[in-house]
This record gives sequence, structure tokens and C-alpha cells, in this order.
Amino acid sequence: MKTLKLKGLDMSCFTETLENGLEIIFVPYENKKNYFISFATRFGSETTSFIPSNKQKEIKVPDGIAHFLEHKMFEQENGEDPFTFFSKTGTGSNASTSFDYTQYICYGTKNFEENLRYLLNFVKKPYYTDKNVEKEKGIIAEELKMYDDIPEFQLEMKLRENIFHVSPRRIDIGGSIKEINKITKEDLYLCYENFYSPNNMFVLVVGNFPKESALEIIKDELENEKNKGQPIIKTKKENIKIRKKSETIKSTVKVPKIGFGLKIPLQNLDYDLVMLDMYLTMITTLCYGSSSEFRERTRNNKLLNSLYTEWEMLDDFRVFYIMASTNYPEKLLEEIKNELKDLVISEEAFTRMKKVWIANEVKMIDDIDATVNNIFDDLIKYKKVIPNKIELIKKMNIEKLNELIKKIDFENYSIVTMYGKDE
Amino acid sequence: MEYIKKDLGAYNLHIIKTDKFKTITLKAYFRSPIVKEEITLRNILCNILLQSSKNYESKRALTIKAQDLYAADIGATNSRLGNYIVTSFYATSLNDKYTEKGNFTNVVEFISDVIFNPDVKENKFNEDKLDIVKDNCINSINSLKEDSSSYSLIRMAEAFDKDSPLSYRMLGYKEDLDKIDSKNLYDYYLKMINNDLVDIFVIGDVDTPTIVSTIKKYFKLRTMKKKKVPYMLENKKPRSRRLFAKETIDYSQSKLAICNTISELSTFERNYALTLYNIILGGSSDSKLFKNVREENSLCYTIKSVPNKLDNILIISAGIDKNNFKKTVDLIETNMQLMKKGKFSDNDLIIAREYYLTALDDILESPSAIIDNYLMMELLGTDTIEEKRTKITEVTKKDIVKVAKKIKMDTVFCLEGVKDENA
Repeated sequence: MKTLKLKGLDMSCFTETLENGLEIIFVPYENKKNYFISFATRFGSETTSFIPSNKQKEIKVPDGIAHFLEHKMFEQENGEDPFTFFSKTGTGSNASTSFDYTQYICYGTKNFEENLRYLLNFVKKPYYTDKNVEKEKGIIAEELKMYDDIPEFQLEMKLRENIFHVSPRRIDIGGSIKEINKITKEDLYLCYENFYSPNNMFVLVVGNFPKESALEIIKDELENEKNKGQPIIKTKKENIKIRKKSETIKSTVKVPKIGFGLKIPLQNLDYDLVMLDMYLTMITTLCYGSSSEFRERTRNNKLLNSLYTEWEMLDDFRVFYIMASTNYPEKLLEEIKNELKDLVISEEAFTRMKKVWIANEVKMIDDIDATVNNIFDDLIKYKKVIPNKIELIKKMNIEKLNELIKKIDFENYSIVTMYGKDE
Repeated sequence: MEYIKKDLGAYNLHIIKTDKFKTITLKAYFRSPIVKEEITLRNILCNILLQSSKNYESKRALTIKAQDLYAADIGATNSRLGNYIVTSFYATSLNDKYTEKGNFTNVVEFISDVIFNPDVKENKFNEDKLDIVKDNCINSINSLKEDSSSYSLIRMAEAFDKDSPLSYRMLGYKEDLDKIDSKNLYDYYLKMINNDLVDIFVIGDVDTPTIVSTIKKYFKLRTMKKKKVPYMLENKKPRSRRLFAKETIDYSQSKLAICNTISELSTFERNYALTLYNIILGGSSDSKLFKNVREENSLCYTIKSVPNKLDNILIISAGIDKNNFKKTVDLIETNMQLMKKGKFSDNDLIIAREYYLTALDDILESPSAIIDNYLMMELLGTDTIEEKRTKITEVTKKDIVKVAKKIKMDTVFCLEGVKDENA
């Protein structure tokens, strides 16, 4: 295995890629008792149109199929419930689907080897029948309804619709009740065959576990798995501009909410992606983070009830979201927009934030869950582990940051305001 | 891991020495018998203390100071523990080894400044800050229904027994908020500082004498260690006829919340047999409710049961379609009956035990969870983790059946989602 020193953290990461393309990533810990395993495919909700391998014609599968497939993975031909298998040794298990990945996980303190083998095995063996597919529709419908009742979720969906013209990210990860009702077992097998191939997947193991036998088990289970082909995904070209500048919607809220989304196309930004993301995050942290003047001002003027920010990564874009709850949506939006006009970064704040980030890297490595998320994100966003984040943070300089600021169109944002129904 | 308890007169200092973590965590617990009318005061107090202090004039100044201490994390939370309200002030920072000498002492000084050096003039809290905090509080109260799941649990508890502390709204009440001014808030602050029971915990790779002298220096309290009120709520007599209550809400999904009374448990039953009963019934994704209500009947996406040991109740909640209300309640009832009849396998028992043992292992991975465990030992006389490991294996099937017979479905509340009817 290749050793990657996680610089400044007294830890190492080990990687290997099998001949069939499957990636293996280990981050072993000595002073912890628990372990975490993720078996993931780079197939998420955004892939619904593709030319299946060995076919010529592009097809469209129902929205929400990746998530549906994730649910149905837990159905095994021998009738055994994976949850039950893992539970026997007090091991937790779960799965999740995002726009660009699906992962199956288990975590615990016991029975590592058998659990690893079982996890790889159950994801290897899909079992779909008309009956078990039908049964899942009721469960997923309730899941979709649960999300649909969350005002923040409605706000985010509307914002995505207005930011993107054609990107599949306009559609909810779970799809819609109408779409999932169309799903058949044939659709599921087709997606499985095309996207659950070793060259599209990776295994990540973090925590206390025997490295050698882990590698042996993974090879034993997956080395001889063939790639089932190479589907072609033709992505539609997304317009660099946002689709709709602003919109007002009504919902069941008492306190209004606002959503702000800044769309940044990557085409003219010739930077190393990891550094670019650090600089972008630095900009928005200094503008809107907990120690920003914006926060202080909006809090003192009672414009802010709660606020959170988030960066989203797409292949050709970065999108920055602000979601807030406020009694004065218009005034708050003015403040948000003003912050991006004639942006000036304070050197003191920039230096302080670098110190905070370095401290956070050290804190993060102390926590297995945080490390898992961190490395998993790297694998999805950059297709590799970034072992020298602390070095990169130290390297950041304010001139580069100011240069980048000049290249970004800060007017390319979309706004959604949500009011209560009775207003 | 080494545990040292020091009697410092007004309070106990608990030091947990371990080199397992790169961080040091301090938690100071202030507690007093809960009074419904004081919950709002307590929340406002907690929030205002984190807005500013005499040395740091704004929330921004506080945040910047925390960042300068290598991203120290400070805060305060309120929660109810049986008949008590507990305010926990916390501070976490990297060990000096990863920062600089004296950093943790500075962190202790900083959190003590927040607690003991409030932004008060002429016996009044800063009016502007109070205004901000009250505004935030009212917005949170107004947004209560947005989280339909928590709202259904609150309404269920109120239907069950509106006079019991278990139904008190921890967010506070509008009518109490209106009565708060800068003067009576300060009076309440003095009451808390001078009368609450206090325990302070520090966990990390620390030097005991240094910690003792640092805490002595920065936590000068004159409270008395006395306890008049028991932690546990009195057993409520189960009502003779089950109570059904409902309310409608403009959402797609309905939330079912069921309160079951638990009567006359021994300490062993409460801490061990009840725990296993719950895991088997609805405490995991391998439970009876998850399998029978979700997987076999497709009635919901979420369903779970949670015991409130100090309140003598067990709560079952699920997100359902309102047309399936009766079917779901009947199925839950059936599963509870099965537990009473001992219709669960030895394997179920083994799985539940493993599940619990893993949860114990997990405690040891989290500084905060380790502190909580010691706090419960201190306050309630619960067992050490090692004792828990042994005692859980002593629980027999018979013990669980005995507990099952003491649990009775009492109040069934449904928050009916009627959105689709209105559309």
C-alpha cells in the first residue's frame, strides 16, 4: 500500500488501487477502540440519464432511483436483514445517498473482519423482486413527505431550481412520489449493473483495525469482480448564469426565511481546486462567519434569528448558500448583498482564521467521525485524499485571495424569500 | 483513565485524567429544582451571558477571543433532568501541547469571565443585549411548529399531564418572556450563582494540581451542597382509559406520539432490564417496531421508542400517513403485547445486549459523554461503565417480561397532517 503522511497530525493514510479500479483507503488509529467502514459508489441522484454500457441509446431512469436502490440494497436473497447481522455484534449500519455518491457504512468495536466481509458482500449482491420493490414505495413516500414538511428543505429546493437551468441538482435526491412510483426492478438492476462497478467505487476504513487482514479481505471479496461496463453520462451544459434572480414563496412558517445562492463557474478560475476551495471558503467565512462584522451588525439590528452557510461542489461550479430566518427579509438581503460589494479582507482576520483552521484540523483528527467525513469529502470532491491540509492553510496568502476576489462575479446570485401563509 | 474527585467546599471538582484526547474539556453544571415560570428566564440568562461580558463588549469580541485561544469552543445549554433544570457551561480547547503553554488556563479564565463577570451596570443587564436575546427567543417560540416532530412530542406530553415537569416547554413561554427585564434577570442570575448546586468536570491529559489551583482561582463560588428535591419524578398512576388526543397541522405527514407509563421499577430494572426492553421494542433499526411497522407493513419511514428513566415514561414516535393511524397504533400495541408474553428470542436479547455494550464503548470515545457518565454517577448514583458491563449481562428474559408488564400505553397523540386535503 502507498503511505501518505497526514502532515502535522502524527497520522498516516494508506491507499491502494486494485487492477479493476477499486480504490482502498485506510486511516488506522492506535488509541481508539472503534472503527468505521464505508463502501461507496460515485453514483448519486444526479445520474438519471445515461447510455448504458454496450448500448447506443441514451435512457432516462426515474428521479430518485439512486436513493431507492440504496434502500433496496438491504434486501437479501436469503432473507437475512443486514441490520440484524451487524446488530449481533453491536455494530451499527446505515446507508446514505447524495447527489454524487451512495455509501453503505458499518461502525462498531467488535467483529471487524466478519463485518467488513459482510458489508462488501451484501452490496455485491442485489436482490430485487416486483414485490419487494413495491413494498419500499410506501416507506420512501413517507420519507419524502417528512422532508417536504421541513420549510428549510422547501426553501433549498426552490433555490436550486432558480440557480440551475438544466443541472440534475434541481431535483431532490429522493425524487418525487410520482417518479418513485414508476421504478421497476429492471430499472434498479440496470443502474446497479452500470454504476456499482469496482472502477466506480471505493472502500474507506478508519479507526482501530488490523490493516493487513483488512486488505486481504477486500482483495478476496473484490479483486475478481469485473467492471460491468462503462456507461456514458452526457452532462447537459449548465449556463454560467443563474436561472432566476429572485422569487417569493409561501409556506407554513411564522418567522420568514431567506435563501441566497451565489453561483461561481469554474471555467475562468485557473487554480488548484483544493486551494481554490480554501480561498473561497475563507472569503465567505470572513464575510459571514461567526466572527464577522456582518454577524455583529445584523444581530444588533435584530435582522437575524438564525443563519447557516454551505458550499456545494459540482464538476464545473461552486455554489455558496446562505439560509437564514429573519423578521426582516429585505433588510437582511440588503446586508448580505452589500457584504460582497467592494470586498476588502482584513489581514488580521485572515491570519486569525488560518490559526483557527489549523487548530480545527488537529481537533478533527481526534474524532473518528470527523476524520471519516473529511476524507470521504476529499474522495468525492477531489477523487483523492489531501494529506497536507495544514501546509496548504499555512501557504494561503492575502494577495492570492485578493486576486481571486477580482475574478468572481458576485452579482451572479439568486434569492428566495419565504413568508408565512397568513401574511 | 484516572478519576479524581476533590471537595472544594462550595462544589465538587471532578478530574478525569486521560491521554486519549488531544483536547481538554471543562464542564460546569449549575442545577436547581425546575420551576415552570423560570425556564424562560434561565434560557434568556444563558444566552445573554454569551452575548458579552465586562471584558468583552460584544458577541463578536467574545468569538474573536475564543478564536485567538486556538479555536476554543465555549457555550452553555439548558436541559431538564427529572425534577431539575441543569445549565451546563462548557469550554473545549486543544491541549497546550498543540498550542502554547498556558493556553488552557487562559481558556478557563475566559469561560469564568463569561459566567462571573457579566455585562451588568447598576444591577441591570445590558438593555440592548437583552433586547436581542428576547427577540431571538420569541422567534424560536414562534417557530416551534416548524419542527413537527418535536412539536408533537411537546403536545403529547401536555396531553399526558400538563402539570408535570415532563411537559414543560424547554424553549420557554411567551407570557414569561414578557415579564423579563434587565433588573429581574440580574436578580435571577444572582440566585443561580449563589444557590444552585454546582459540579465542575475537567477531562484531558492534565496535571491535577495545576487544574485544582486554576479552577479554585477562577471558580469562586459560595453555594452550599444541599439537595431537597429528588431527581426522579413521582410515578403517575396510569389512567383507567387510554387518552386519545389530536391536533391538525398544515403538513403532508402526520406525527404519532405515544406516552406509556412505567410503574414501580427497581433500580436494576430501571437501569438494565428497561434498557434492553426498549432496544428490542423500538430502540434500534433491528427492533420489533422497525421491522414490523416499517419493513413489513410500509407504514412509516421513522419509528422509535425512547425511555425517559427519570420521568417514568416510555415514548414511542413515528411519522405516518394519517389514514394509517389506527393500523399503526394497533400494530404498536400488538408488539408491546408480544413483549409482555415473552415472544422475543434469545437472539433478540443477545443483540440488544451487544447494542448496549457498544454504546458503552462509544462513551469512552467522547470526552463529553465520559463527563456525562460521571455526572450521572454523582447525581443519581448510577454504576460505573465497568459495573454496567457486568450488570447488563445479568438481565434475563424473565426480567424483561416483568418490566414489559409494568409498561402501559396511556396517551396517544396524533398531529394530523392535513396539507393534501387543503390543496
